[in-house]
Amino acid sequence: MERKNVSSIDYLLLIPGVGFILLFIGSSIFITITQSFGVLSVTGKSQFTIENWKAIFHDKESLDSILFSLKIGLLSSVGTLLFAFPVALFLRKGGSGKRFLASLIKIPLFIPALVAAFLIINLISYHGIVNEALLALGIIKKPLRMLNDKFGWGVVAIQVWKNLPFVLLILSSSLASIRDDTIDAARNLGAGTFSVLFRIYVPLAMPGILVSMILMFIKAFGDFAIMSVAGPTYPPSIALRMRNTATLFQEWDKAAVLGVIIILTTLFITWLYSRLAEFVTGRK
Amino acid sequence: MAATKQKNLWYVRQARRKRRFTTLLTVFFILVQVLWVGVPIFMTVLWSLVDPNHPWSFPNILPEKLSWGQWMYVFKYTNILRALKTSYTLAPCAVLLSFLFSLPTAYVLGRKQIPGKKFFQTIVLLPIIMPGMVVALFLSRVFNAFGLAQNFFGLVLAHTLMGLPYMIRVLTTSFEAIPQDVIDAAENLGANTFVKIKDIFLPMVRPGLLAGMIFAFTTSIEEFNLTFIIGTPTFETIPTILYSFLGYNFIRTNASVVALIMMIPNIIMLFAVENFLKSDYLSASLGKL
Repeated sequence: MERKNVSSIDYLLLIPGVGFILLFIGSSIFITITQSFGVLSVTGKSQFTIENWKAIFHDKESLDSILFSLKIGLLSSVGTLLFAFPVALFLRKGGSGKRFLASLIKIPLFIPALVAAFLIINLISYHGIVNEALLALGIIKKPLRMLNDKFGWGVVAIQVWKNLPFVLLILSSSLASIRDDTIDAARNLGAGTFSVLFRIYVPLAMPGILVSMILMFIKAFGDFAIMSVAGPTYPPSIALRMRNTATLFQEWDKAAVLGVIIILTTLFITWLYSRLAEFVTGRK
Repeated sequence: MAATKQKNLWYVRQARRKRRFTTLLTVFFILVQVLWVGVPIFMTVLWSLVDPNHPWSFPNILPEKLSWGQWMYVFKYTNILRALKTSYTLAPCAVLLSFLFSLPTAYVLGRKQIPGKKFFQTIVLLPIIMPGMVVALFLSRVFNAFGLAQNFFGLVLAHTLMGLPYMIRVLTTSFEAIPQDVIDAAENLGANTFVKIKDIFLPMVRPGLLAGMIFAFTTSIEEFNLTFIIGTPTFETIPTILYSFLGYNFIRTNASVVALIMMIPNIIMLFAVENFLKSDYLSASLGKL
């Protein structure tokens, strides 16, 4: 770090990067908020109103979409964590073959979300390889409907497959910061595998666990593409409903309300998890 | 004595057993991963090679005949060539712009102690954190007002926005890694700002720059939400074409071809970056500093 005094030139130099982002993201958020109240509206006259908010909260279909997206967000974040944590724990210590394993695991990180969706769709479709294998093994009598299913398992499967390496990276870095001495000390004092896991690894990796869960939730909650190709026909995810409301029905003001709801939920979840992290680590 | 020896032997055996168990577990995880990653990709390759005249349907475990027919078809009768052209002209433009915009910002974030730095670093992450569809939809309203929707320059700006966070972050860490001594020495020897930029900053952030460029490039190639809302139907990129093949007109064979076209360069490029970052240009060139 340079020891020079702060000059206004430094702030000027921030403008191209930070200013650019602030301008674009800021203006889109600003328009979302104003439009949800009917101000700066494109369709119809610009007038302050809370009718759109009332309409959305009285619309059962919109509420269904919100609940559905929340459910998928939660399931995806928990699901990815359950898959990633054991692998991260296993990879914590080096060993022969583990480097190869680590780079193998990373591959889905480099695969675009839509392609990942397609790869998994191939497997879980009605006559896909998973159904055929289960049928051949005699585990099920009739192919399962996993794609575009009512519950949304297909979407969760795609999210888990695509984001496993991403969560693994976060968890690995947070597990790597646990010192071996701590574990040796615990073992010396008679801790078994189970208590080492739940009283050392999990609590000490908690910040990483929470961060990865927040990021996964945000991704899956506001997702459009995967939900639209693998999600159920009803209810559509909240992002899908927002886009349809805006471009198919041309009700931009109502779409803006849904947009604000997505943004607020994202902010709320982030706040909630950060409070949880403070609570868990006991730090402020 | 005998008891101690017994005990030592027991420890040795225990350690050996543990090592064998770890090896077994590694093999098991590798097998699972090969299936987990390999089967989906293998199936897609297979689907893209199914001969158009010998459809692969339910009772057959493997396709009857393989051929390049689907690839020919996709290149001949769909808009893929135009989409490839759009994608691969859009990405370099966006990379260049995001490089130019992020260089001064990354310099300040990496080398200066300014009040509110944490705040600015959070702002930088916004394009990644904010839900993509919300930003896309309502940015399109702004773009409409300025005539940037359905416009190539507008798309370049949108892709630049998505590439900036990666570029700024990678460059910031590169700037942080430059030892102050080198800069002090250069100043002492009378280097002016221009010389400092040309002979110190640019060469030293070069590895980070390459990594950032590849991140921004692949982000642009993958970008869907903004392109879909702001660009279609005037501009089609590879992701929007893939989306149309996955949506209302679901054609599995065509989608497989497009998916592979999109996926293969990505995997190659990002693995290249990974190896590149490991060789850690900075520490190598400066020895122990």
